[in-house]
This record gives sequence, structure tokens and C-alpha cells, in this order.
Amino acid sequence: MRLEHVRLADFRNYESLDFPPASGLNVFVGPNAQGKSNLLEALAMLATGKSFRAHRESELIRSGTERAEIGGEARIAAGEIRLRCTIVRTPAGTRKSFEVNGGSVGFARFLGRARVVTFVPADLQLVSGGPALRRSFLNGALAQLSPVYYRDLALYQKVVGQKSALLRGAIAPDRDLLLAYNDELVRPATALIAARRAFVDELAAATAAIYGRWRGTRERLGVTYAPNPDGDVGEALAAAVESELRRRSTLVGPHRDDLRLLVDGTSLAAFGSQGQQRTAVLALKVAEYDVMRARTGDAPILLLDDVLSELDAERAGGFLGAVEGFEQAFLTTTELPRDLGAAATWSIHAATVTRC
Amino acid sequence: MFHLLNRPRADADALADAIVALKERVRLCSRCFAITEDDPCTTCSDVRRNAAMICVVAEAKDVFAIERTSAYDGRYHVLGGLISPMDGIGPSQLRVRELVDRVSAESPTEIIVATNPNAEGEATALYLSRLLAPSGVNVTRLAYGLPIGGDLDYADENTLARAIEGRRTL
Repeated sequence: MRLEHVRLADFRNYESLDFPPASGLNVFVGPNAQGKSNLLEALAMLATGKSFRAHRESELIRSGTERAEIGGEARIAAGEIRLRCTIVRTPAGTRKSFEVNGGSVGFARFLGRARVVTFVPADLQLVSGGPALRRSFLNGALAQLSPVYYRDLALYQKVVGQKSALLRGAIAPDRDLLLAYNDELVRPATALIAARRAFVDELAAATAAIYGRWRGTRERLGVTYAPNPDGDVGEALAAAVESELRRRSTLVGPHRDDLRLLVDGTSLAAFGSQGQQRTAVLALKVAEYDVMRARTGDAPILLLDDVLSELDAERAGGFLGAVEGFEQAFLTTTELPRDLGAAATWSIHAATVTRC
Repeated sequence: MFHLLNRPRADADALADAIVALKERVRLCSRCFAITEDDPCTTCSDVRRNAAMICVVAEAKDVFAIERTSAYDGRYHVLGGLISPMDGIGPSQLRVRELVDRVSAESPTEIIVATNPNAEGEATALYLSRLLAPSGVNVTRLAYGLPIGGDLDYADENTLARAIEGRRTL
């Protein structure tokens, strides 16, 4: 798929932008704080409806204005699609609304109409960082692939939040209520675990193949899903009731899952070199792209934010080379790299985008 | 407001009286906690209604929604909200104890839990079903399904998935 036209109004530092991306690789070049990442963020929001970097959504609305808009026309396998995301400042915070082909839709029906694989510097911690990063990696891809997954996830997180508040002592302790939350969690938890397991199975094969191509066949990368619990969810929740009450926190459920990365059977996070860890991150990202493309029959759009400065030129080139047959990619950089091949280069200065 | 300014003084007095009367006369039924002028309310005191069924709702306005259907002739119980520990609302902030007492006093055969199909509505329903299990009363939940006159193609995937799970034999 590819974006053919993007319009911004009062989004971050853009008062108004009319941007016609090229197919293939688009490079945004310019000094920092001019609007490169803001534009990339807007493109991502057309697919995910959420910012990959804002702490508060009010940041997305240009200061002094009340309403930000991101509009896009995309060509997908099924034809043309028009997407629009509007963020409005209200006394009670911000409110977002979504449109597909001019009709208003809820978030779950907007999400994943266009699909993106984003790669930001924080992703470089995917292997060495905590399990929350790896869960959000899985969630980010799966939510775009399946609205049912997204809704199960949202429900699951809401119920876990209520259950934790109960265990923390926000209200009087109540064993029946704890058991009621466990009853409510079984269905979405089981569905999330099944979806993650199937996704990781596909991801593991793709990641290992790419990693092997880069580091040689001597090293074998294993990617395995470590579900919590590994077994019947209802039974595991029931078995954990006493310890959850004692520890006053939730101990069982896919909000405590992990993705394990092993090279030749040893943990990459604990024992891998930085080079091995980075290569594994790149391989995971390429694999995410491959799985999304295989599942939907449509190549997702690649968004690479400031990744070149973090990677040596060889790895960055290897990454782009490994992304087979991408239709469209966007990359931000402060300095134009030498050997990116055919690319449309856009210079971004003070929220103005000009083709070089 | 502009409309009121253009009306005679008597209209403004009538409106003011009506608001005062609302505050003075309208209260909660001491049995089911629905909004009423008489206590017990007309649904609780109407002998033609089925006393063996209690429909549990979150808010008083939900009683009106169900009454409009004319599909239900039992009694009600208004909880006054849904359980939400994140907002500091536990069973003791709601009229849960009162429901349990009514079940033992009135011995209904069925409790229909008609809370919203969201995280809190579902948790509250599951909680009540656990709490009332020892009493032996049959606790039921409103069905999930497709809107009448709806189009399968337009139903969101989760509603459709739940409707498939809740399918029944023709």
C-alpha cells in the first residue's frame, strides 16, 4: 500500500501542509526540531490512530489552536481509501474522531485500514529492554492486523486495571469480586494468548531467516513466545488467587507475557553483544513487515524515524535491502546518506516540505 | 434563555414551581431505588406485575429504557452505578446489600442483570451472579447480539463474534 496524498492542519508545528509522497523511498532531511518526526508521526496516526511519541495528545494540536487534522488518501490492495483523524481540544482533555471514506467511524474500525511498520530509536531496546516493550511490539502489529484483537486487548487492559485497583486496596477487599474479575478475564486473555502465539510462530521463522542471512548460519536465533500462563487461563487464575491477595498485585495473565530471544540457546538480552542485539532488533522489524505483508497480501508502509544516526551505514543499508519489495517507506535523517539508491528527498525546514 | 425572556411572567413562575416540586416530590423508591413520587413506587406496588422476577439495572434511567419495551413485567432493582475500583466504587458504594436482602425476603425465581455490555457492566453482572449463587436464584444476563434491522456487513467484528458465540437453534 502507499500514501498518495497527505494533508495536515494545525498538527504539531504544521499550520497547513499539502504533501504528495512518492512511491518507494521518501527521505525527510533537515536539522532537528523542524518537523521531520512530526510528519512521520502524522503518517503513522493515519494507520494506528495513536501517536508513537506523544505523552499527551494535546501536544498534537498546534499551540494556540483547538483542532488538529490529518487527512490522507492511500492506495491499498482493495483500491483507494480516504482516511481522516481529527484531534480536538476540550475542557476535559482531547477528543479524537475518525473518518473512513468520508464516513465517521469508531477507533476500532479506523485502526489498520492502512498499516505501518514503525522503527524509532526506542525500538533499539526491543531486545535488551524490559518485557513491556516486547508486548507493545506484539500489540502494535496485531492491533493493526485484527480489530478483534484490538478490542480484546482494550477490554483485557481495562479489566486488569480494575482488578489491580481492587488488589491494591482502592476499595474494601472482596474475594467474590476478585473471582468475578478472573471470570471476566478468561475469554479475552485466552484470545490474546492464542493470537500472540500464532503471530510469534510466523514471526520466529521470518526473524531467524533474516538474522541468519546477516550473521551467517553459525548463529541460530530463536524467537519464542513465553505466555503467561502457559496453559489453561481459568485454572492458572484460580491457582493464583491466594498469592495475588497476599502480594496485592496481579500475577497471572498476558499482561505479563514475554517474547524470548535466544542465540544458540542462550539469552540474547543477558549474554548477547550489542551488535547481536541490534541485528536481532532489525531482523524482528523486517520480520514484522514480512508477516504483515503475508497475512494481508498488501505491503505495509515503513516509517523509520531517525534510525540512521543510531545505526552504522552498513546496518541501515542492510535493513532497507532486506525489506523485500516495499511499496513505500519514509525515513527521517539530519544528514543525507550517500548510498540509499533511488529515493525522493524532501527537505523540511520550519514546517515547510520541499522536494529536493 | 431568550425563549424564556419572551414569555409572560406566569410561565417563568410555573417553570420555577415545577423545578421546586421536582426536588420536593421526586425521590427514590425505598424498595427498588427507582425514581418515584410515591413510596413504594408504582412498579413495586402493582400487584399485577410479576413479583418473581427482578431486573437489576445500573441507573434509574435504565428502568425507563426497559419499561419502554413493554417486554418485561417484573420488578426492578437500581444499583446506583457499576463496580469500578479504579474510581473507588466497590459493592458497598452500591445497593448490592439491599439486593441480597430483597432476594432472601422476596424469594424471586429469576434475577435478570441488565447492565451495559462493557468491562464494568460485565464485572458487576459476574459479581452479582457469584454473590447470589448460594441463594439458589437463577441469575440471567441480557443477550449480546446484532441490532434489529441491522446489516451483518456493518456490525463491528466483536459484536458479530459475540453474536456467533450466543447463537441458538432455530
